[in-house]
Amino acid sequence: MILFRGKLYPTEKQNELLGILEKRIDHTLAHGSLDRETVISALDGLAARTALGEFDQLIAQVAPDDVLHYKQAAITAMKRENLELRLSVELPDSIMKNSGTGCLMHSVRPLGTLFHIAAGNAEGLPAMSVLEGLITGNVNILKLPSADSGLTIRILGELIQSAPELADHLYVFDTPSSDIEAMKRMAEMADGIVVWGGETAVKAVRALAPAGVKLIEWGHRLGFAYISGYTDEQAELSALAKHIAETGQLLCSSCQVIYLDTYDKNETDRFAERFLPYLERAADIYLHTDVGAAAQLSVRRYCERLEKAAGLSAQKGRHTYYGRNCSVTVCGDSTPELSGMYANVLVKRLPAEHILPVLRRKKGELQTAGLICTPERRAELTEILLRSGVNRVMKAGDMSAAFTGEAHDGEYPLRRYIRNTDIEF
Amino acid sequence: MDARNALFSHPDPYDLKGTGKLFIRAMRECCIYHYIHCPEYREILDSMRFDPYEIKKPSDIAALPFLPTVFLKRHRIYSMPQYRMPIKATSSGTGGVYSRIGFDTKGLYCGLKMVLKVFGLRGIVSPQPCNYVILGYKPHKGNHTAIAKTAYGYTLLTPAVSRTFALKFRDGEYKPDLEGVAAAVVRNSRSPFPTRFIGFPAYTWFMLKIMDERGMNVKLPKGSKIMLGGGWKQFYKEQVDKTEMYALAKKVLDIDEENIIESYGAAEHPILYCDCRNHHFHIPVYSRVIIRDVNTLEPLGYGRVGLVNLITPMVYGTPIQSIVTDDLGIMHRADECGCGVRSPYLEIIGRAGFTDVKTCAAGAEEILKAAGGDAK
Repeated sequence: MILFRGKLYPTEKQNELLGILEKRIDHTLAHGSLDRETVISALDGLAARTALGEFDQLIAQVAPDDVLHYKQAAITAMKRENLELRLSVELPDSIMKNSGTGCLMHSVRPLGTLFHIAAGNAEGLPAMSVLEGLITGNVNILKLPSADSGLTIRILGELIQSAPELADHLYVFDTPSSDIEAMKRMAEMADGIVVWGGETAVKAVRALAPAGVKLIEWGHRLGFAYISGYTDEQAELSALAKHIAETGQLLCSSCQVIYLDTYDKNETDRFAERFLPYLERAADIYLHTDVGAAAQLSVRRYCERLEKAAGLSAQKGRHTYYGRNCSVTVCGDSTPELSGMYANVLVKRLPAEHILPVLRRKKGELQTAGLICTPERRAELTEILLRSGVNRVMKAGDMSAAFTGEAHDGEYPLRRYIRNTDIEF
Repeated sequence: MDARNALFSHPDPYDLKGTGKLFIRAMRECCIYHYIHCPEYREILDSMRFDPYEIKKPSDIAALPFLPTVFLKRHRIYSMPQYRMPIKATSSGTGGVYSRIGFDTKGLYCGLKMVLKVFGLRGIVSPQPCNYVILGYKPHKGNHTAIAKTAYGYTLLTPAVSRTFALKFRDGEYKPDLEGVAAAVVRNSRSPFPTRFIGFPAYTWFMLKIMDERGMNVKLPKGSKIMLGGGWKQFYKEQVDKTEMYALAKKVLDIDEENIIESYGAAEHPILYCDCRNHHFHIPVYSRVIIRDVNTLEPLGYGRVGLVNLITPMVYGTPIQSIVTDDLGIMHRADECGCGVRSPYLEIIGRAGFTDVKTCAAGAEEILKAAGGDAK
């Protein structure tokens, strides 16, 4: 399905519509303007309707186990007070107000046209990316991820219904990623390409982007937990286990590695044994409902055990504690890395003195640290983690929680979607 | 006669009850052989405290450690020196990684007896000459896939008048030539001999569609057959309702449903599961199938979805007597079918994997593959 100027078209119309898209966009850029208040009130209206339960059924189709969570996340992202708070933090008056220096007048304009290539790992992310583009006044072309459930077009369609003037700023295509030609055409019309995904996706997009187009990359990042003593051990380990099982370790903010502040080689094993029952209990609650995925994970764990037994294991220097639908692997090294995901976490030693040199080797790839420690060490450890390149330091259970007004991977997204202009009097 | 040979010589290929004890004996002999000759396999059994000499009852077979196909794809393990294995076949390697299975001479002989018996019951082995259309790979010295070897082998079940291949090796890669196939079919319709189609269901479906779109409806001689095997592979999205395919085969080629025969098998489990007239894969005496819980890997009974554990004592070259595939399936009781075959049947309903799960990396792989890069 394609959404073009507020109307739905079948996928087959793609090339025909792409043929007239540039003309439409040029017309909008020349004559149109998007009033920020229009966007905010349309979004706020949608948030209110979501709160009243109008979209409950739709959300249930996409995330049957998680309706409340998604509903709340959608309302939080769209309601007026939060949008205004975001704008005041990310684009404060000091940046947005027209000002002058000598014979120059400075003003802020939208970047122009944004081409969004969204990842499918979080429902609502493609729509969210476009909303950020709209609120900064840009024309938006969105390529849906192949795994999109149809939610995105519904949200954006509703938005246009409540504010028809958005129609000229919003084009959604369900182009498959294999249609490089079509993606190149979209890229050529854009002033900025917003890409969500891992290193491989970013590289592929760089390859198809024309020179001179601004690339706005939201790459794949790593999250980890750091433990240096406890305030309330049971509660903190439960919260961490819950976070790991609930997010399936699929998000950039998800915990992949649990670091222990210790030099003691045996401590990692003692911890793995202690943590496994916590993880098992959490994995029971957030067990994979998809049979195919559950099957693959069970076979993978079983296969690792066979390899170990047959002396064919590729994982030298590591050993794994297996639990029901989860595992804890003790590693001899201390490098941050992606875990096996889906409640298969890694445990490594990292004495506080070594945090900076070790983490710096992965600078630019780190995002969230979930810090568990005694209250008196919190300030000191937070500081060293930030200095090491980590952008968010959270409580272990809140690693993937979203907070209004927070930066994303160390930046304010909205600021990347505008440009500063100067006019001489 | 050793137990394996006796099992593969059993007169009724669906007499599971009558071969229960024989099957266990053949499994014991096979496991002991691999235990002695394959050091990696011995380590696995030892680590799981499984004694192959103690295989005495059905529950021992369920307890026997199985190898997932992914293990066989990562590690080439054998129980015989290479020169004693006349045929080494690879799986077709959906996703680029494949396993390599070695077959011993006696095992191949058992396999031949099995094919003749199972296909014999379906009227496939015959002295009647046939034209063959292979909707699969044309053999090539660089292609060791079991599917190519099997497809070619099937053309030996009757005298072959001609052979046409849908996938031809040109400029260093296999390219589909469905146009050429359609032309051959029209030519074959004027032949006095029946035509047999062999190959992937997806290609068969595409061929039927192309011919139908062009109004190329022919009447093939009586006795013409379509033999489907190899699953839908990368064409899962195109998977059509079987009845739709049967209707189109009748319309385009004048082949009746009873002459459309589907088989199921794998390089890692070379047993021939041929469908009955109701298109169900009944378990032959040469193997046993256990459906396993996707979380605990424990055996499940009838009617529940799980991983498919395929068990056979046929092969001595590679320890594949108990393997788990990527398929998800359900076992049904014999009487649910109604075709008269007295053995339970296996229904394949999907594949293990993260098809419905969305990760950050998933989209990336798609883009990269399309851009011609390596997605690893």
